[in-house]
Amino acid sequence: MPVTVRIPAVLRAYCNGARQLSLSAPTVRAALVELERTHPALYRSVCDETDTVRRHVNLFVNTTHVRDLAGLDTLLAAGDEIVILPAVSGG
Amino acid sequence: MSERVILCIGTKKGLFVAESGKGRRKFELRGPFGAGVAVFSALIDTRGTPRLYASSCNPFFGMKVLRSTDLGRKFKETRSAPEFPKGDGRALANIWSLEAGNNKKDLWCGVEPAALFRSGDGGDSWEMVPGISNHEHAPKWQPGNGGLCMHTILRDGNRVHLGISTGGHYLSEDGGEKFTASNKGVGAGFAPDPYPEFGQCVHKIAGHKDAPGRLYMQNHGGWADWDGPGGPRPDIGVLRSDDHGKSWRSIAKGLPSDFGFPIVVHPHDPDTVYVFPLEPMPRTCPGGVPAVWRSEDGGDSWKPIKRGLPKKNTYFTVLRDGMDIDDLKSPALYFGTTTGQLWMGRDGGEEWECLFDALPPINCVKVAVV
Repeated sequence: MPVTVRIPAVLRAYCNGARQLSLSAPTVRAALVELERTHPALYRSVCDETDTVRRHVNLFVNTTHVRDLAGLDTLLAAGDEIVILPAVSGG
Repeated sequence: MSERVILCIGTKKGLFVAESGKGRRKFELRGPFGAGVAVFSALIDTRGTPRLYASSCNPFFGMKVLRSTDLGRKFKETRSAPEFPKGDGRALANIWSLEAGNNKKDLWCGVEPAALFRSGDGGDSWEMVPGISNHEHAPKWQPGNGGLCMHTILRDGNRVHLGISTGGHYLSEDGGEKFTASNKGVGAGFAPDPYPEFGQCVHKIAGHKDAPGRLYMQNHGGWADWDGPGGPRPDIGVLRSDDHGKSWRSIAKGLPSDFGFPIVVHPHDPDTVYVFPLEPMPRTCPGGVPAVWRSEDGGDSWKPIKRGLPKKNTYFTVLRDGMDIDDLKSPALYFGTTTGQLWMGRDGGEEWECLFDALPPINCVKVAVV
């Protein structure tokens, strides 16, 4: 399924400055696997070594958080956008 | 270029670098690098062209290692940070120690959860050291308040000493292949057995190249009034070993508290050692009066050195890597506080002055003359 992954500015250094990446994947999990293969440093910033999405990183499919869909098993449709966003936190 | 004194100051909000001539009259401050991200460990690698390294504990995107080849004017991330192998089940939470290895680009790195990594290319790639990272004791180690951290890596030929909180002191005598818990005489106040084989909350270990068999340890003290199982355990906080860490004895008598975090040895005298005593429970300066305490006889006696430090109403903490000493002929001692002050004590701490008084909370201070 051809989809687009939108990269936040803070992570663009890990994909040669790209604002978005195009890839083909049937689920969000498969898209992350593809990211790990093609852009390992970007993937490591999104997921830890146990392949868990980092606590302060949110993934959306279009405008809906994946937790409100089927998590990483959310099915993707052609033209979907996966949006990577850091959570609002700090101190 | 004439000799420069370089300070790496790891804070809650990034890394600062301070630079001065060897007179140490005025320090120029640069940073923060890795802005907004906590730095718990740094290394000034003086082998060949000096390189500065710092860990950057990004709560959003994971651990990064920063490297500078121009004395801290700019930093770049190395190609990768340590990471546990696929299927291991552990995820890197922090980097607590960075040390130089044998070869020019050989680095050692202690992490949280407690494990050891090595790099052979100056931090661009890393490999886990299984002898300690997969030690049979590892599943039983427990995190202290700071996390389950490997905070000390001391190398002496083929001997490698590691400090883990809470795991204790581990010793390898074959260059880092096999490690043995080596905690005879190291007390634990939080377990029914006051002297367990492992699991002590070691805070920091220091040694000296001219006295390789001797080590000093700041352990988790403050158990003199303990009335739980096993009874009181006074003076277990500051220890010394004279047999390469195989056994330890208390040298805490004479200190106002045996609780503290850092321990530092004079660069030209292995008998001179410094600690920063804290009250055990609040972990702040005893009575609100900060002082470094110095022993010039290997721990047999202690005296405070506090001229120039605040005389009252002062309640900061100095963390385990928050104190260091340079190696000039008359060395200066430095400590950073959780209230963001960076202090320098000339003549081995005889006269203190505050170099910077409003930095973010300070986690670590490293100094080198380059």
